[in-house]
Amino acid sequence: MDNWKDNRSVFWTLAGPGTFWLLVFFILPLGFLFVMSFSDKAIINGEVSITEYDYLTGISNYIRSVDTLYLTIIWKSIWVSALATVLCLLTAYPIAFGICFASEKWKPLLLLLVVLPFWINLLIRTYALIAVFRSQGYVNLALGAVGLGPYDMLYNNFAVIFGLVYVYMPFMVLPLYATIERLDKSYLEASLDLGASQFTTFLKVTIPLTMPGIITGVILVFIPCLGSFLTPDLLGGANAIMIGNVIERQFKAANDWPFGAALSFMLMYATFAALMLRAFLAKRSAGVDV
Amino acid sequence: MTTFRPKFSPSRRTLLKGTGAMFAGLTLLPRFSLAEEEKKLNLYNWDTYIGETTLADFTAATGVEAKMDLFADNDELFAKLKGGNPGYDVIVPTNDMLERMIKANMVMPLDHAKIPNMANIDKPFQDAAFDPGRKHSIPYMWGTLGVGYRKSKVEGGVVDSWKILLDSDKYAGRLSLLGDAQNVIGVALKYLGHSFNSVDAAELKKAEDLLIAQKKYVKVFADDNGQDLLASGEVDVCQEWNGDIIQVMAEDEDIAYAVPTEGSLVWQDTMAIPTGAPHPENAHAFLNFVLDAKAGAHIADTIKYATANAGAKAIMDKSYTENTSIFPPAEIVAKCEPGLYLGEEATKVRDEIWTRVQAA
Amino acid sequence: MAEQMKPGSGPLDYGNRLWLKILFGVIFFMLYVPIITLVAFSFNTDRRGIVWRGFTFDNYVKAWNNSSLIEAMINSLMIAFIATLIATVLGAMVALMLWRFRFPFKGAYEAFMGLPIVIPEICMGVALLLFFNETGMMTAVVAMPWPLNLSNIIIAHVAFCFPFVAIVVRSRLVGFNRQLEEASKDLGASEWQTFWKVIVPFMMPGLVAGALLAFTLSLDDFVITFFTSGPETVTFPVKVYSLVRRGVSPEINAASTVLIVITVVATVLAMKLQAPQKSGKG
Repeated sequence: MDNWKDNRSVFWTLAGPGTFWLLVFFILPLGFLFVMSFSDKAIINGEVSITEYDYLTGISNYIRSVDTLYLTIIWKSIWVSALATVLCLLTAYPIAFGICFASEKWKPLLLLLVVLPFWINLLIRTYALIAVFRSQGYVNLALGAVGLGPYDMLYNNFAVIFGLVYVYMPFMVLPLYATIERLDKSYLEASLDLGASQFTTFLKVTIPLTMPGIITGVILVFIPCLGSFLTPDLLGGANAIMIGNVIERQFKAANDWPFGAALSFMLMYATFAALMLRAFLAKRSAGVDV
Repeated sequence: MTTFRPKFSPSRRTLLKGTGAMFAGLTLLPRFSLAEEEKKLNLYNWDTYIGETTLADFTAATGVEAKMDLFADNDELFAKLKGGNPGYDVIVPTNDMLERMIKANMVMPLDHAKIPNMANIDKPFQDAAFDPGRKHSIPYMWGTLGVGYRKSKVEGGVVDSWKILLDSDKYAGRLSLLGDAQNVIGVALKYLGHSFNSVDAAELKKAEDLLIAQKKYVKVFADDNGQDLLASGEVDVCQEWNGDIIQVMAEDEDIAYAVPTEGSLVWQDTMAIPTGAPHPENAHAFLNFVLDAKAGAHIADTIKYATANAGAKAIMDKSYTENTSIFPPAEIVAKCEPGLYLGEEATKVRDEIWTRVQAA
Repeated sequence: MAEQMKPGSGPLDYGNRLWLKILFGVIFFMLYVPIITLVAFSFNTDRRGIVWRGFTFDNYVKAWNNSSLIEAMINSLMIAFIATLIATVLGAMVALMLWRFRFPFKGAYEAFMGLPIVIPEICMGVALLLFFNETGMMTAVVAMPWPLNLSNIIIAHVAFCFPFVAIVVRSRLVGFNRQLEEASKDLGASEWQTFWKVIVPFMMPGLVAGALLAFTLSLDDFVITFFTSGPETVTFPVKVYSLVRRGVSPEINAASTVLIVITVVATVLAMKLQAPQKSGKG
């Protein structure tokens, strides 16, 4: 790796546009929201105002957000997202692996086939899922034909997790594909030649070598899951609430933007903590450099 | 930038001065305030909530090109306009949301001289508690909140109480309630014999306990698709708006709608002009057009909601005006309450109750 | 092992393994059953789309005549196309920078790049709404002629798409053997030539994957677009969202089917155009 001082012009050309874009169109707007999280609705003539705020009044929104009620919901969101992420990884890995080892002719087609469903609007896709899984949906009709069911497959946590896996699959497949694709196949051959079984090779060689893709995929799936609200809204039952739903409500029905902003930042802090934990663990097990 | 947004509070202005200056270059493209308005109108409406040819008829009558954009619920409408009007001329809020928007100066006062057809408004709607003197709005459609159910699946084939939804395990897993705090907590209060708009802590607590106890029998809190759940056999009893159930009743004779005897909510959708509307003249012309007898009749005929336009009602078919699902009998309406805007504090209290109910 | 009897199926020829093929079949089946239902129901005569009542093309005619739906689709494709282009370039540049250079506070910079991924969409939507309103960009841009009035949405889409591209491209670059670069320079190639002839071809799968991801994200985004769009700049997801809350009509299914067909054709064409170059480099 070069020191940035060695070639300043290249460094700034590469770094400049992206950094600028992110600072102006992301960090700055986020700054507005951050200020909002420390604010309160203004009180005008003894009434709580609907649209005006008193800025930087204190941390009351954060105090409210560490109530057990919201912590329980955050915790529930974490495990639902974790489960969805694991399932996503278990399904996406073989897909990405298969695509990478397919013949050159098939590769782009298979990749396209994986991504294609995601060009259909999320809502339409979710409604299509509902049509397939509802009490009188096709799955139950098929099961009914062989004398089983009908089963209630919608409006529970299973449906939410399945829906999340279905929705976020390409975020897992694409980074995995990018990493496995560049995997040096000679390592696998060497391992097999040296007498390791396919399984051992996969466990000891393939997985460690593709770890960066796995980690990227896990991050790309876990985090959007954590903040999702449409999927639990549409597929979940009476218990399906996730923190994304609570946040969404603050910005819409409850009209409590300061509290919504505070909850959003709480969610971000939780994510940062998880990412830092990962970095820390990676450092501790620094035996394998990945 | 202050020339655009004179309503900024000083604290806001200082906070944002820096960023504003940065984009001064971009904002030097003000809207021209010509004497003659350009011939355009942007309507922000609910889906399937206008006559099939209304917009085209309006264009034919006035030469103003009308365009419609859709919102899914009042909260969305509010969130979109709260930060400033991105260009809508006419909006269709429900009465309690209109009240909130009037309080927040988000809608413009109407110039009644430009809306002569206000004479067509049905007597009970000529004035409104939520908008005294109809200064900011015209009434559009009205209706009730009630129970949609499948006759063959319900004992006796008739529903007359909220008990079936709120206080009974008889149809466990076959029930759906609406997905918003206001209306679910409101009917729970109503079932317990209190006001739909109660802000009494003890009464609200009882409603919360009732909902938490009942929750295990509820299949889903459905946003606005209870009628689909009912039609597809996913649930047998649901809490829904009359118009939604009427739509599926037309396709499935086994489905019925009832307003429980404990009473319920009676709502009224209104049309108003949001502050900052780019074409206020055209907006007034549109409101006037909607209140026209013929145009109003065409709208009501398409969407099958109860119109507040007496002129329209007078020229419409009996199959519409005497349909009790559309126009419920007076004694039922008498038991219903209009939803009120209760203030931001009460909204917050209800939101917290709702979060607790969902997380329980 | 039976597979090894077949010519050309070595121990690494996973593509021909039966179990993988079956797994593929099952997963693709799961992915596609809802889509096939959707396409099938776009030919259904039943208005609510719950039961099959008969075959018709009416929904396509209706969708075609629904000018606001068509307009929303064109807006969406336009936004996705431009945003993907900008995001892919920006993302690739950032990935190259992170891969090539060591600089102070690099860890912090990487975390900063990851922010748009970490933040819940709704917060970003509201933050951008606040920002565009308070800076006057909302009113100014919405009043511009098409397609300039889409600028706010494109800006927002690029902001949340390009970090995704950067991540994907970077995880590809990690495997690059820098000796190749040195070899190229030793052979007399300039920095620029090395970049185009060695690094870019190596990055290509990452770029394609990143661009696909960006396109997907942009085309499907509802939450952020909802908060940044005005009456003249409705996109397909925003339109659909307001339409389907009362149930999906077959008309929407028809429009979605058309959208799938358009994007598939465009992608296949793009891949075809890119293919000869690719083999030339191999």
